[in-house]
Amino acid sequence: MRSILGAAIDTEADVTLVDMEAGLEHLSRSGGTLAYADVLLVIMEPSRKSILTAGRTIVLAEELGIPRVYGVGNKAQEGDKEFFEEVCAEYNVPLAGIVPADVDVVEADRRGELLAPGEGQPVRDAVVGIVDFVDHALVGVAGAPS
Amino acid sequence: MKLGIVGKGGVGKTTLSALFAQTYAARGLRVLAIDTDSNPNLAFSLGLSAQQADDVPLLPRSVVVGGGEGSLTPAQLLSTYGAVTPSQVTLLHAMRITQAGAG
Repeated sequence: MRSILGAAIDTEADVTLVDMEAGLEHLSRSGGTLAYADVLLVIMEPSRKSILTAGRTIVLAEELGIPRVYGVGNKAQEGDKEFFEEVCAEYNVPLAGIVPADVDVVEADRRGELLAPGEGQPVRDAVVGIVDFVDHALVGVAGAPS
Repeated sequence: MKLGIVGKGGVGKTTLSALFAQTYAARGLRVLAIDTDSNPNLAFSLGLSAQQADDVPLLPRSVVVGGGEGSLTPAQLLSTYGAVTPSQVTLLHAMRITQAGAG
């Protein structure tokens, strides 16, 4: 049976972002929809456990047939960029980018609101970098946003 | 293009998902954001108020699978169940859409 949601994703949107339930266990139950993801981003915090988990997620995602899976290092403070790069290489996690820790994001989260214009510029810049990375990875792939 | 975002609780997955969505929307692309979390917080990160977030309907499985009499068109699905957020990103709340079959 054709899925109307699948049709909507194909015809009514240029980019569909799916915020999955947290955790590896949901990924394996989610094989149906995720199997059709063009790109999967695994968000990590600066801890060895987080990167190790990302490594396992990537192996599982590849087994599910998702072709492009990348890690994103989040909440990076002083020294974490090097930490992410080093440990991601160790656990075979390809990095799409690193997002710095930012007090503006923490504040916006406390208010339960959107990041206000002008706030969190380093984070916004990092996000743009990751979007550019993803777009570059999709060059030549059908359905990639122009 | 379908982009999946995963990560354990607390890593900033939802905040980043919203920022990715807004970045694409700012480039003029039609962006659909689907929150599949049983605790749906993407609405907040996309700028909806608590009341508006509560009002976003859960996509029924029958609508996702469809194919029966009087089923919705894709555009109708979005206009009925989608919430347009301040950054023009359309938000859907769909739990376990993965049971719905081919995407």
